[in-house]
Amino acid sequence: MSGLEQFQDRNVSQNYYRVKIEPYPKTPWEKFKRVVRKSLKPDLLIGLKITLLEMLRFNIHTIQYPKEKLPVSPRFRGIHRLLRLLESGNERCIGCGLCEKICISNCIRIDTKPDENGRKIPTEYTINFGRCIFCGYCAEVCPELAIVHGQEYEYASEQRAQFAMKEDMLTPLDKLKEQKEYPGFGAPTPAADKLIKKTPLAY
Amino acid sequence: MFEVVAFYLFAALTIVMFVITVTSKNALYAMSSLAAGMIFISAFFFLLDADFLGVVQIIVYSGAVMALYAFAMMFMDTTKEVKENNPPKKIVFFLSGMIALLLVLILLTPIISDKVKALYPMSDEIGNTEAVGIVLFTKYLVPFEVAAIMLLVAMIAGIILASKRMDESITLKIDQEIEQKGAE
Amino acid sequence: METAFIIETIVKILVVLGLFSALAGFATYVERKVLAFMQRRLGPMHVGPYGILQVLADGIKLFTKEDFIPQGAVRPIFMIAPVITAATAFIAMAAIPMFPEFTIGGYTVRPIISDMNVGLLFVLGVMGIGLYGPLLAGMASGNKWSLLGAARTAIQFLSYEVVTGLSVLAPVMIVGSLSLIDFNNYQAGGVGNWLVWKQPIAFILFLIAGFAETNRTPFDLLEHEAEVISGYATEYSGMRWGLFFIGEYANMFTIGFLVSLIFLGGFNDLWFIPGAIAILLKVFFFIFLFIWARASWPHVRPDQLMWLCWKVLMPIAVVNVVITGIVMMFF
Ligand code: SF4
Ligand code: SF4
Repeated sequence: MSGLEQFQDRNVSQNYYRVKIEPYPKTPWEKFKRVVRKSLKPDLLIGLKITLLEMLRFNIHTIQYPKEKLPVSPRFRGIHRLLRLLESGNERCIGCGLCEKICISNCIRIDTKPDENGRKIPTEYTINFGRCIFCGYCAEVCPELAIVHGQEYEYASEQRAQFAMKEDMLTPLDKLKEQKEYPGFGAPTPAADKLIKKTPLAY
Repeated sequence: MFEVVAFYLFAALTIVMFVITVTSKNALYAMSSLAAGMIFISAFFFLLDADFLGVVQIIVYSGAVMALYAFAMMFMDTTKEVKENNPPKKIVFFLSGMIALLLVLILLTPIISDKVKALYPMSDEIGNTEAVGIVLFTKYLVPFEVAAIMLLVAMIAGIILASKRMDESITLKIDQEIEQKGAE
Repeated sequence: METAFIIETIVKILVVLGLFSALAGFATYVERKVLAFMQRRLGPMHVGPYGILQVLADGIKLFTKEDFIPQGAVRPIFMIAPVITAATAFIAMAAIPMFPEFTIGGYTVRPIISDMNVGLLFVLGVMGIGLYGPLLAGMASGNKWSLLGAARTAIQFLSYEVVTGLSVLAPVMIVGSLSLIDFNNYQAGGVGNWLVWKQPIAFILFLIAGFAETNRTPFDLLEHEAEVISGYATEYSGMRWGLFFIGEYANMFTIGFLVSLIFLGGFNDLWFIPGAIAILLKVFFFIFLFIWARASWPHVRPDQLMWLCWKVLMPIAVVNVVITGIVMMFF
C-alpha cells in the first residue's frame, strides 16, 4: 500500500483480538498461588528477549526529519493555496466573500474590485495564520474550488505576514502546469459524475 | 599527625553539627545536621581502626535518621520555621549543661587516673568483625539475646498495632463510596 | 613510605574521579543509543558522527545553564543535596578493588583506594547515604512533587536496604569475611567456583535490590515523570542536576562492580581472558542489563514496590539465610 490508499484504509478492526482476563483471586491462598504462578512464568525474560531481538535485528523506523520527510495525505489541511483556472490561467476566485463570511476565526480578509470586463476580482486576499485553525471551512464553502489547502506544514516563520499574502498563496502563472486539484474538503468526490442526477423538467 | 588533625577536625564538626541540631528552629536543618553529626562520629571509629563499628554506625544511624525524616515530612512543613509557644527557660539550659558536664567528668576520671585498661585488646590475627562477635557471643551473650527478644516483641507489637485495618483497601473503599453516592 | 603512600592514594582518587565521571557521561550516550535501538529508533544523530559528541554538548549545556534556586527552597540544604549524591557515589568506590594488582616500573599498584576489612559493608552503607541526596533535595525544594519524591526515597531506602543486607548475608557467611578482596580470592578457581552457583537466590535478590538502590527503571519511583514530574529533581537545573545524574551513573558502576566481585568471580582470570578485562566485561554487562531492563519493563507502583519488598523479597532472603546456615552447620 502506498500513498493515498494507506490513508484511506480505515479497516483496522480485523486485527483486534480479545484479551483473556482471568478472574481476580478472592482468598489469600488463591492470591498466593497467583503470585507464585506469575513469578515463575518467564514473562519478564520474554520481555527482555523481545527488546534484545529488536536491537539485534536493527529494524530502525526513525525518520531523520529535516533530511527525510513522511508523505502527507493529499487531503492534508496545510497552508492555503489559491488556484487558477487550468485553461486560461485566470484566478478562480470570484470574490464572492463566502470564505470570509464562514471563517470561524474570522481571519480571512478580502478586497475586491470589478476588472475591465466587469468581472469581480479580489485585489487583496490575506489569511491571518496566527488565528487560522485550519478547519477547512473556507475550502469547503468556496463555490469555485479557488481557496484550497496545500501540503505545507512547516509554519514557523520570522514574520507574521509570511505565507499569508495573496502572492504567496496564488499559483504562479509559470507553474500553472504543476497545479494539482485538491481532493480534500469541498472538492467533488471522484465519482461525482456518476452520482449526479439530471434535474427533472417538472421543477 | 594525620590522626590528630582528623580527630580535631571531626570533633569540631561533630560538635557544631549537634549544636545546630539543638538550636535550629527549622526541622530540616536540625535533622540534616543530626544525620551529618552521626556520620562524623563514625570517623572516630575509623580513626581507632574499628572499621566494623564505624560502618555499622553509618548504616544504623543513616537508616534511623531517615525514619525521623519520614516523620518530620508527615508532621510539619519542613521548609518553614517552627514557632515554639513556651520559650525555654534559663534554668533548663543551666541544668542540662551541668548534667552534660557531670557526665564528661564521670567518664574522664578513669582515664585521668590511668585505671582504664582494654579488656579485649586488638590482635592482628582476629579481624575487627570477629572481635566484636567474640565479645558479643561470650561475655555479653545474655544481654544480647535479651535485647534481641525485646526487639522482636516490639516488632510484633508494632505490626499488630499498625495492621488492624491493613487488609482494607482505601482505594476500593473510595470507589464503593462513589458508587453509593451515584446510586442515591 | 608514608609520602609514597599518600601520593599513590591521591593519584588513585584522581583517577577514579576522572575516569568514572567520564564513564558516567559515556554511559548516558550508550544508554540513549541502546534504548533507541531497542525501541527501533536511532537516538542522537546530529552532534558529531553518530551523535557521539552529544555527551559533550550536554556537558556544556549543564555547565552554562543558570543555577536556579527557587524562592521557597531551604537554600543551604537545597544546594548541598546533589553534592551528597555525587560524593557518596564516589566515596563508595574507595573500598572496591577494581582490578588485580599490577606493577609499573617495579612499583606494585593495588587498584583499591582503601583496603579495609569491612569493604562490603562500607560500600553498601555509603551507597545508602547516597539516598540522602534525593531525600534532602525533595524536602528542601518547597515543591509538592519534590516532597512526594522525597517520601518515596525514604520508603525505598528503608525497605530495600533490608533486602540488600539480608541477601548479601548468605554469601558473607560462606566466605567468612566482609572484605571484597577475600570474596574475590574465594572464587579464584574458575567458573565453577563462582558464588552465583552456590547462592543463586541471593544473587537475584541482590540484583533486584541493586535496581532499587540505584533507582533504575522497574523501581524508578523517585523521579518518574508520569507521576511526580521529575520527583526530587523537579526544581534542579544546570550542574546541580548534573551531579545527581553523575551520582546515579556512578552508582550503577558501583553495583556492577559489587555484583561481579561478590557473585561472578571478580577479577580472576576467566579461561583465556585476563582478570582486568574479565571484570570490565562483567561490569559492562550489568550496565547493559540496567539499560536493557529499562527498555523492556514497565515500572511498578509504590504499593507494589513495598509489597514486593516486604512480602516477597525479604521472606525469601531470610529463608535463604536460614537454609545457608543450616547447610553450613551440618555439612
Ligand atoms: S476564495 Fe472562493 S469563497 Fe472566497 S471569495 Fe473567492 S470564490 Fe468566494
Ligand atoms: S481554515 Fe478555517 S480558520 Fe482557517 S481560514 Fe479557512 S475557515 Fe478560516
